[in-house]
Amino acid sequence: MTNAAGAAPAIACEDLWMVFGERARRQLDSARSGGGSPARIAGRLHDQGLIPAVRGISFDVKAGELFVVMGLSGSGKSTVIRCLSRLLEPTAGAVRIAGEDIIAAPPRRMVALRRRKMGMVFQHFGLFPHMTVAENVAYPLKVQGQPAAARAARALEVIELVGLAGREGAYPRELSGGQRQRVGIARSLAVDPEIWFLDEPFSALDPLIRRQLQDEFLRLQSGLRKSIVFITHDIAEALKLADRIAIMRDGEIVQIGTPAEIVLHPADDYVAEFARDIPRGKMMTVASIMQPVGAGGEGGGEDCRGPALATAMSLDDALATCAADLSPHRVTDGDGRVVGTMRPDDLVRALGAVAP
Amino acid sequence: MSLAESPAAALAAPAWRLGPGERTALVVVLAGLVSALLAPLLPWVAAWPDAWVLPVTERVGSGLGWFLDLIKPAARLVSGALAWPMAGTTWLLAEAPWPLAFGGFVALGLWVGGPWMAALTVASLGFVLASGYWTESMNTLALVAVSVPLALALGLGIGVLAFEMRRIRAALQTVLDIMQTVPTFAYLTPLLVLFGFGPVVGLIASAIYAAPPMARNVLLGLERVDPEIREAARMIGTSRWQRIVEIDIPAAMGQILVGVNQCVMAALSMVIIAAVIGGFDDIGWTVLLTMRKAWFGQALLAGMVIVVFAMLIDRMSAALAEPERRGDPRIARAVLGVSVLAGLVSWTTGIIPGAAEIDLLDPVAAYVDAGLTEFTKANGAALDQVKNTAMFYGLLPLRIGLDDAVLPFTWGFTWDRGMSAWLLGLAGAGAALMLWRGWLVAATVLLAGTAVMLVGITQLPWPAVVVAAAALGWRAGGWGLAAFAGLSFLAMAAAGLWDRAMLSIYLSGAAVLICACVGGALGLLAAVSPLAWRVLRPVCDTLQTIPLFVFLIPMLMFFQIGEFSALLAICAYAVVPMIRYTRHGIVSTPADLVEAATASGATRWQMLRDVRIPYAAPSMLLGLNQTILYAFAMLVIAALIGTTGLGQAIYIALGKADLGLGVSAGAAMALLALIADRLVQGFAAERRRALGL
Repeated sequence: MTNAAGAAPAIACEDLWMVFGERARRQLDSARSGGGSPARIAGRLHDQGLIPAVRGISFDVKAGELFVVMGLSGSGKSTVIRCLSRLLEPTAGAVRIAGEDIIAAPPRRMVALRRRKMGMVFQHFGLFPHMTVAENVAYPLKVQGQPAAARAARALEVIELVGLAGREGAYPRELSGGQRQRVGIARSLAVDPEIWFLDEPFSALDPLIRRQLQDEFLRLQSGLRKSIVFITHDIAEALKLADRIAIMRDGEIVQIGTPAEIVLHPADDYVAEFARDIPRGKMMTVASIMQPVGAGGEGGGEDCRGPALATAMSLDDALATCAADLSPHRVTDGDGRVVGTMRPDDLVRALGAVAP
Repeated sequence: MSLAESPAAALAAPAWRLGPGERTALVVVLAGLVSALLAPLLPWVAAWPDAWVLPVTERVGSGLGWFLDLIKPAARLVSGALAWPMAGTTWLLAEAPWPLAFGGFVALGLWVGGPWMAALTVASLGFVLASGYWTESMNTLALVAVSVPLALALGLGIGVLAFEMRRIRAALQTVLDIMQTVPTFAYLTPLLVLFGFGPVVGLIASAIYAAPPMARNVLLGLERVDPEIREAARMIGTSRWQRIVEIDIPAAMGQILVGVNQCVMAALSMVIIAAVIGGFDDIGWTVLLTMRKAWFGQALLAGMVIVVFAMLIDRMSAALAEPERRGDPRIARAVLGVSVLAGLVSWTTGIIPGAAEIDLLDPVAAYVDAGLTEFTKANGAALDQVKNTAMFYGLLPLRIGLDDAVLPFTWGFTWDRGMSAWLLGLAGAGAALMLWRGWLVAATVLLAGTAVMLVGITQLPWPAVVVAAAALGWRAGGWGLAAFAGLSFLAMAAAGLWDRAMLSIYLSGAAVLICACVGGALGLLAAVSPLAWRVLRPVCDTLQTIPLFVFLIPMLMFFQIGEFSALLAICAYAVVPMIRYTRHGIVSTPADLVEAATASGATRWQMLRDVRIPYAAPSMLLGLNQTILYAFAMLVIAALIGTTGLGQAIYIALGKADLGLGVSAGAAMALLALIADRLVQGFAAERRRALGL
């Protein structure tokens, strides 16, 4: 990551609670004074007829990190992203953007933050039906107060970035779902925000279009390096995109980890159950289970035979290579340097857990 | 409902455990029985004693009078301010040479809805011009043109406020409900006192009356905007004002334009109703005047002018919501230019005859008059026969009961106690049979219906009515509605309006009953046969665009003044929602339900009875609800051609500028409408829940 050690994370979420119902704040305070785990506190709130949707969660998103929050419907993930963007007022807790607690920020400051620093993409696109593609994309710039010529130029630039050049004059109703979400993405990027919130951006799309947009999203992010919170209910999508994943259940985070950690070391049966459905051979790469070469160069693959594996290779492809020769293989990175070794038994263990 | 319970639970429950429906039924029967037994012994049970009547109407009158006097200076200021735009619009439309307004409307029609709309405008205005009522029509239109912007602004404001302030939304909804249920005439009395005689009263009344539909549609439109669109706007960093003006309102524009259409139609309807105040030479006044003089040819012609006008305005404001129909603005501007030129030419040279000199259709009116005289001379006996049959064998027994209505010179015999005993015994036997089958509610309905037929609605003992209203309220909406219904009836009795209220219930009840049967049957027919719907649909559309007033003309022509004409007018107006909602409910049964029933081997009839009609029940109940509200609205207007009851009281109060009576009777009417609305809505909501909708 680019930021120096010790600098504040891009987004820090601290002990965040969102409780729906009458006099939620006071009820939460009295429930918390009784102590106990978040689940116990939530139980007390529930008995009072309130709905504790998010239950004391904490996490950090580093600058430039793609952080995915994954959970099934009703797990509270959409509520979390609405608290982070303060579309909802959290009942308790803090959300710090570059060290500044935005929950305590006055409305005027919040408007300024949204105009300059944040972008958001919505599941059903949230496009303005009475504006053309160009007007939709330029609207955030208009709200910023930019002159018409400047915002038209910038809008065109972003529209080209998402591959919609030529459709500037179309209305949202004239576009396909995939095209609409491209407009949504372009609009959220128009002001070049530092923080990018995406709320299930690809869930409403067909599988084919979804994969295409995921790939383009990764391409965009590799160039932009935004700090991202990405919500999804699709574990495959989470594993494909994420630098790190937080898995949510009943308003709490069950596990935070890299995709490999989630799959290989699930924190509990619930996470394991997700991981079980994953075609690991396709989803995981050699890099996630290889033995890395030590700093001193030990384990550099002296006893290795056969062709080298690439770090980006899927486990299925690695297996096909290793099947010919059941001895350790060298692993090389994109530049051809040896970065680790792959032992066939690790490979079989990683894949084996898949088999029922 | 016993339907909603599982069979196992029904079996397990002891037989004496009654559901809410059964308990309500029992309470109603008990209240009726006790009142019937006590009525001969205690005179205060049979009729609310005069000594118990509180001086409510006088107090309301003096209190309101004091308040109105207080704000009168402000009101006069408003009417003074409104006089300016009023004078300007009247000059432009009615006093300037007619080619100007004519061409202006054609240009507007062309721009809003293309060549077809322009052609429709030419045809409609041509008819108006030929009828000789151009000036009167334009006077009416001037009122509409000034009141509509007021109503639109008011409605938009209320709608946006209700959406933005969740806390006051419920309160504002109630205010809207009341604004729409208070009968139209009842607005007029306080406004008359406040603003004095003149067109401003109609102006303000129609602005008040036309605002609620606009507000409702604005609120509905804003509620239907995808919440993510609003969230997107907030995330972009819009201020609240920016979001409302630049995002929310444009995104809800489709629904808002529907509101504009309804607002314009309501304003027109109210402007015409307000003509009863008089003092302004508008088309509504013309209808009223010619009707009073029994010049039916002219009344019909003026009525047709109103209908043509209403349709034109309706189509034009509906076309607003369809931007793809816009015509070429350049041609529209050219037409406007030509009309200004023609106006100038006509003003300076006088080549084109003035609107007052055109009366091409007068021979038609004379012909209609002659024809009508001819017709009534030939068929008067038959028409009277129809009217008398309906009165003697239907309306009168319902009103005063079989025991009073059956007389030797109509029915051929005298009703005696023995016959009452026989009828009750028969009903009792039927009820017992139903009880044995377990249909407690049906048994109660049979017993209560028989009792009402025997005694007559207006002679029911008041304790029984109050208890029955409260019990039904409890069943439909819990204790709150029970208290509201019961207390409302008590209040009407205490205010000395009991007899009038029961008369209103009787006439609107008869009309609703007829509408429910006829409208339900027609709706069913329209659902089964596309051909029938193709015939019925334009009829329904027309009936709904016609201002209430016009319904009275044909009824009056054939059946003279009286309750029967009023009943027909109410039915003609109130039957439409029943047809529409019944058809809609039945037609919109989900395809998979129909397929599942077909796959189970259901015949067409079984499908209708077991699948489609139960599914349509909530929709049909909403139709009934609308029918009831329509009937109440028309009931008040029908006071013009002779009804008794609250409507008549409101109308009389208007004539005498009697604030107390007018406002109290108006409030009683609104209470009845609100109770009926809440009851039916409660039952509809329950059916929807039972169906999981």
